[in-house]
Amino acid sequence: MVKIEYLTPASPEERKRYYREEWDIKQVPDFIAHSIQEREFGFDHVGRGPNDRYKVFRTPDLLKRFLKVRTPFAAYCSVAFYDKPRRRDKWTKAELVFDVDAKDIPIRTCECESVCEICLNEAKEIVCGIIDTLKEDLGLNNIHIVYSGRGYHARVLDDDVTHINSDVRSQIVKYLVGAEVPENEYSLNYEKVSYEHFVIPFGYPNVFTERVKYSILHLNEHSNLDEVNKKLLKDVLKNRHLIEDNNWGLFKNKIGPLRYKKVVNGIASMNMSLVDAKVSIDLKRILRLPSSLHSMVSMKCTEVKNIETFDPFKEAVPKFVYERKE
Amino acid sequence: MVSVAFINPLSDEGEIIVRELGDFGRVLSDNDDLMQIVTGSRSQEISDDSFIPRNYIDLAIKRIEWFVKKKNDRNFDNNQYEFLFNTEILKFDVIAFYLLCQAVGVKYGPNSRESRVMVESQGKLIEYRLEKLPKNIREELVTNILNSLISSTHIKWTFFEDLISTKKLKLQDLILDQGEIILDKDDFLERFSHKIHGRKPGKMYEALIGDRIKELVMIKMVMQNTENYILKVGEKSDREIEPNPILLELADKISDVLATSVRSYGIGGSYSGSVKASALNPKAFPPCVKKVMEGMKSGGRNDAIIMFLTPFISYARLYPSVFSENITKQISDIDPSLLIVQNEVLPLIFGAAERCTPPLFEDQPQDKVNLNAKLGFGMHQNPDLKNEGETIWYTPMSCEKVKIHLPSLCKPDENCKKIGNPLSYYNMMIWKVKKEAKTESATDNTE
Repeated sequence: MVKIEYLTPASPEERKRYYREEWDIKQVPDFIAHSIQEREFGFDHVGRGPNDRYKVFRTPDLLKRFLKVRTPFAAYCSVAFYDKPRRRDKWTKAELVFDVDAKDIPIRTCECESVCEICLNEAKEIVCGIIDTLKEDLGLNNIHIVYSGRGYHARVLDDDVTHINSDVRSQIVKYLVGAEVPENEYSLNYEKVSYEHFVIPFGYPNVFTERVKYSILHLNEHSNLDEVNKKLLKDVLKNRHLIEDNNWGLFKNKIGPLRYKKVVNGIASMNMSLVDAKVSIDLKRILRLPSSLHSMVSMKCTEVKNIETFDPFKEAVPKFVYERKE
Repeated sequence: MVSVAFINPLSDEGEIIVRELGDFGRVLSDNDDLMQIVTGSRSQEISDDSFIPRNYIDLAIKRIEWFVKKKNDRNFDNNQYEFLFNTEILKFDVIAFYLLCQAVGVKYGPNSRESRVMVESQGKLIEYRLEKLPKNIREELVTNILNSLISSTHIKWTFFEDLISTKKLKLQDLILDQGEIILDKDDFLERFSHKIHGRKPGKMYEALIGDRIKELVMIKMVMQNTENYILKVGEKSDREIEPNPILLELADKISDVLATSVRSYGIGGSYSGSVKASALNPKAFPPCVKKVMEGMKSGGRNDAIIMFLTPFISYARLYPSVFSENITKQISDIDPSLLIVQNEVLPLIFGAAERCTPPLFEDQPQDKVNLNAKLGFGMHQNPDLKNEGETIWYTPMSCEKVKIHLPSLCKPDENCKKIGNPLSYYNMMIWKVKKEAKTESATDNTE
């Protein structure tokens, strides 16, 4: 098994080998290849960020030639579609994107400096939750998952959402990550009825329950939640087995209702960092091109066909890394 | 039966009423029928002539005045405006609504304070009108209006894109399933009954959706349509010649009502109207600013200093009332020699940048250019009057934007609940500090 921490940056020679011997234009997913003329491409040739931008390719063959000749440090393509991509002019639509970077997940059970198998798996769990909500609540189905090298991108191309503006995108992010504690008191014919989020098995309260469950089950004694002191954190850890079996009522009683409120408030405020919201609201973002090399960690940015079974250490490690190890 | 136009003036019934008005000049003439309805309204205060609108234009102004005073005036007396809830006023009210939209549309356009107040006032008026109706009539009316606004029984959430975009509705407020918004009870029971355990599904429907969400959706849709109508009027007036002087005069009157309200109560309960540019008081900074002032670690460091702190510090020092005045200014309008920028604003920002790990400008000196650009002085190393205007002086990020761009910064305290922008927090705290100082000095004087 190749551990990501052992993966050092790819040398210029390795980049050349990757693009000339291993990479194939057919690895660029159809959802990009079929719209190649409408997208802006960007490249980083020396490892200092994508400063060669506004590139346009009329056909996949021209992109192929460019990558094989220039063997860039990193390759990107826009989530936006333009009539005139060379000038980023006449924007027509943009994919709705969610970027989960293992390095930036607010609660990680590993203690690695960068990314490792454990936090990459946690990123995968978060992405799976997001995909479920996109499908079940928002009714979106044209979703492509890409392993970025350090995490995952969920890219949505349903016509219903590609034209929406940043404000709507920001609301979608909040819904998906569970960034707000749902109401728990409702007025009903002049009386108040109380429903905690965990007794409502549908809609946003259910999304929130799932996200809180994920977070509580991934906390450790070093975790930091707003307004949650060490004693409360210890009690949460001690009783969280109840949540594993969905015994929320018991869990809340054990913790105490006021302290429970503090815990869910803390998690809601932290949840906004589950995805990089800046990426989701940016209508002209460029994202790492699937099939290209993430030279910093020597891994392939790869379209994921089955997120449940995908293992980046089997499917996204370029050949030269194995040869390097030998 | 109450007419749907009483709630939704943009309905077909409302349009018919407008078409029947005839001569536009009549809107200024005293109207006995209107005055009779007003004075005959139950509980209406008639002790002063100024409480009674004499014509359509007066009525239009009363609509706005009701909203502004209700929101801001502690001594507000609803009895002075009871006629607004008398269904007999329907025909006059619909005309007044159209007059207001057109006046705001031609003079101020859709992105103005006047437009926002008009739209919000319509929403509030609907809420209070519905409250005063008997339950069965209210339900029937809401259902009728919703049916006319939404043609399909299966409503995709994207149908409310405008409402979501303008934050009139939050996605979290709605019950979504497979991309559809669930409003109908049978639909709800069919989809979710089997999932609900230990609770009555019917009762859960009434609590979570029921009349509450239907009314919310209906009110927000009427508000959105009002906004769209103002936009349409604005676009049309851009293409056409001279707008009607009656509308321009009404527009000025609306503006006067709002200006009076700012002078008397401050805008919408905010404190920015009364705050003047003065030396900064770091103790009044909101928690997010205090956090950046302490220095950031590498992640989000650039955004925190350049995008967030620079606009905040510069506006807090030079133009704290930017949101209430709503007038675009350049720094030199307030600080002509840029001495305050050089001696007070930049040192604070550079100090925070220095405390970052690693120090921001040591690590990325090119970011000084970006900082300068956010102050409106273009892509140059230092602020210089000759470059001013090459870029825009960025206004401070709202709390909403901070949560998106710099989620780790947002650690709200009790005072944050009342505000939507860190600058409003600062203004509020400055106002409180001044108020406390005055009280203390008054106490000192009495001792």
